[in-house]
Amino acid sequence: MQSYDAIVIGAGVIGSSVAYHLARLGAARVLVLDRLQIGSGTSTQSSGILRTHYSVIENVELAKRSWSVFNDFAGYLGDEEASAGLVKCGYLICAPEGPKLDPLRTALAGQERMGVEVRLLDQAAARELLPIARFDDAALIGYEPEAGFADAYLVATGFARAARRLGVKIMEGVNVERLLVENGRVVGVETSQGSFHSQTVISTQNIWAGDIERWTGVPTPVKAERHAVLALEGPEAYSFKMPVFKDLGSPGMLYCRSYGGNQMLVSEGTVGETLALPDNEQGDISMDYVVEVGGQVAERFPSFGEAGLASSWTGVYDVTPDWNPVLGRLPDVPGLVVGYGFSGHGFKLSPGVGLVLAQEALGLPTEVSLAPYAHERFRSGQLLTGRYGLGAVS
Amino acid sequence: MHVLVPVKRVVDYNVRVRVRSDGSGVDTAGLKMSINPFDEVAVEQAVRLRQAGQASRVTVVACGAAVAQDVLRTALAMGADAAILLDPGSAEGDTPALAEALSRLVQREGVDLVLCGKQAIDDDLGDLAPMLAALLDWPQAMSVNRLEAVDGGLRVHCDGDLGLEQWRLPLPTVLGVDLRLCDPRAVSLPNMMKAKKAPITTLALDGLASDQAARFSVIRCTTPPARAAGVRLDGTAQLLERLRGLPAFGA
Repeated sequence: MQSYDAIVIGAGVIGSSVAYHLARLGAARVLVLDRLQIGSGTSTQSSGILRTHYSVIENVELAKRSWSVFNDFAGYLGDEEASAGLVKCGYLICAPEGPKLDPLRTALAGQERMGVEVRLLDQAAARELLPIARFDDAALIGYEPEAGFADAYLVATGFARAARRLGVKIMEGVNVERLLVENGRVVGVETSQGSFHSQTVISTQNIWAGDIERWTGVPTPVKAERHAVLALEGPEAYSFKMPVFKDLGSPGMLYCRSYGGNQMLVSEGTVGETLALPDNEQGDISMDYVVEVGGQVAERFPSFGEAGLASSWTGVYDVTPDWNPVLGRLPDVPGLVVGYGFSGHGFKLSPGVGLVLAQEALGLPTEVSLAPYAHERFRSGQLLTGRYGLGAVS
Repeated sequence: MHVLVPVKRVVDYNVRVRVRSDGSGVDTAGLKMSINPFDEVAVEQAVRLRQAGQASRVTVVACGAAVAQDVLRTALAMGADAAILLDPGSAEGDTPALAEALSRLVQREGVDLVLCGKQAIDDDLGDLAPMLAALLDWPQAMSVNRLEAVDGGLRVHCDGDLGLEQWRLPLPTVLGVDLRLCDPRAVSLPNMMKAKKAPITTLALDGLASDQAARFSVIRCTTPPARAAGVRLDGTAQLLERLRGLPAFGA
């Protein structure tokens, strides 16, 4: 019978980060179990956007702490070969006159209060940063220089490697079949490769978090939602120096970033297609959809009206009713700590979430309060709904 | 020169295919579907021939239910001039029936060159082009990775058993093309919009193929066995012993 200080289920960006932080905080025997491989679930489907812009103020703090890790990934991990693949190009967000204007103004002010550098730009200044876009409808433009995008696979594997160097054991291809509970308390997990014991189990299972409900009876308010991403090849460059762009004026609340050369990665920041079962397999993207999103892109980036479709893929979000994660202990199941429901914005929070979940699991005070993220909020009605409506901005 | 390109709608190459639990086939519900990559290369080559003035018309044809229009629209957006959907109705529509239907279509449409993908990535059979060439009694070349139109015919490079083969073929002919032939273009948004509105002719498969009786039947569909884990050996002596035990060494 193998016994551990903590067992982490799932080796995506969140699970790998939790494991690393557990070891860093002194846990000697940590086991990570992944059903397939490190980062092979939903992590690698991430568009990798990093920003601290949130209308939900609690998220700004987690995002800020996470950004400082992304910004010095090798230094933070003490591994000079580690790289997050960070492109520090900044984050530009704009809204026209209308219902998104006030939420944007409030969110930008909130970021400033939290000590984040935010600049309000006029249309000419925005065009200088992103000359391929037009801003003549923009009533408010915010720019966050400490932002950009990174590579979720590199981050997951970077955390995993750093964790292993600190003695964490990561087993791939191991499916957790159920939680072992004795006298109402978690004592381990039963897997496709035998049982492993621990008084502390941390579930970071993303769209597969429904397992928790099957194992414990505690409802998991999360559904799998598929979102499509397009890479459009335009006639002019969307360079790495040009910021990530969030278009609150477009019907799909598009987000765009450089995808290298003349390519733009673009996706809608609205509600996606709900799947009956959790599944991260590639979904169909119709030509109608491509034309629809392409039309929205062309409104903002006129020259991309002629763009070609270079590639397209789908990613799956673990969406909760308020599009924010559930973090912390489940009071009904002592010994179980959960982190799920990231609703499409988990990557940018992963270093900070890994730290606070590890602190919580080890009984240490958490650097950011987990109270707002408690599972309890779905019973009490104290939801963390963002001011932009449903969608991954939060 | 009128070029016909048969295209097939297949599960996208980025999808890990899953077999239905009852073993009756592959579960494609909700999965990303695409034009067979080999056929996409064939469409690209056909459009290039037309753009170079060496072909006069490019027609694409797919066989299947209404959803197969997707791949025809992709081909139209790449630059094909016309698209035909062969509706198999309730027939199984195996390759011999399809080849027969296409042979009739070729004659009816006055086709001079059929550019097929050399295989489809779903069944990997590579049977359509040779069957079609045989039915038409036309010359054929498979695994074509280079093609030029010369003196009213074609000069092609193919993979052969002994290396690279170069052939000159008169028209009409049937070719099965390899991925290395050319790189398909990224379809542009304006061309997609045009392709959405372009007409697609639907023809009943049984109006073209006389014999609808399925010659193939799927007995069982299974996932290939998982690759076994590697083993660590203690040294070269053990390695040599292992190698001597392999079938290739006559053990």
